[in-house]
Amino acid sequence: MPLSSSHTIDKAMLVTESIPSKLEAIQAFIGSFIKTLQAMSIDEGDLFAVRLSLEEALVNAMKHGNKMNAASTIGITAQLKKDTLELTIKDRGEGFDHQKLSDPTQKENIDKLSGRGVHLMKNLMDTVEFFDKGSGIRLVKSLKKGRQA
Amino acid sequence: MNIQEERNNGIAVLALTGEININSSPELRKKFAAIIEANEKKILVDFSGVSYLDSSGLATLIEILQRLKKIGGKLRFCSISQKVKNVFEITKLINLFEIFDSRKDALQGF
Repeated sequence: MPLSSSHTIDKAMLVTESIPSKLEAIQAFIGSFIKTLQAMSIDEGDLFAVRLSLEEALVNAMKHGNKMNAASTIGITAQLKKDTLELTIKDRGEGFDHQKLSDPTQKENIDKLSGRGVHLMKNLMDTVEFFDKGSGIRLVKSLKKGRQA
Repeated sequence: MNIQEERNNGIAVLALTGEININSSPELRKKFAAIIEANEKKILVDFSGVSYLDSSGLATLIEILQRLKKIGGKLRFCSISQKVKNVFEITKLINLFEIFDSRKDALQGF
């Protein structure tokens, strides 16, 4: 059933950023971005999902894409049209074959210390797509409005 | 992250407040290591004040579980909010860890 107008976001936003591959820069971007969404009274569960997916994607870009080289930047775009949020994260690396990612929920992987980031994103966002040979990722989620602040 | 530590019948109870993420994981790892190095083998983590958990935090918790298992120890979690529990559910780690609704339930038979 479609959401009634009082439950939709009905806002527009476009953010384009380029940040260094540093944890502090990632945390600063996420903090400021989430504050912007909070000001729009987005549902708490959706905020949690967006924050976690964004953090996992940015940390992957820093670690695996840009190999922790702080001088290599991460490109971010965030676009909110009505109630649909679209994020793209692009690193400077050579990419990777995302088809070869193993399922972290399988018995042989369940106690491994890494490999859960993409799985979390796929479960928390509506769409997760890789582009530019895996050096870019596109995340889309339809957001609900929560309680007024 | 704030960590409050107490003992209950030989069980180390850690009440966490804040976020378990890539920033706070090293501090948490250090705290667990100190308890294990003091030869304590039973740890209960109270998640009632935890508002956020990422994959780095999950990795830290798995690492601690593995360390405790190696020495015949036990790790239990309790009072996890639905948002945070969802992270355990999505990753199926809900089946790896012993998770209880309340501290009282977790302490029983530990």
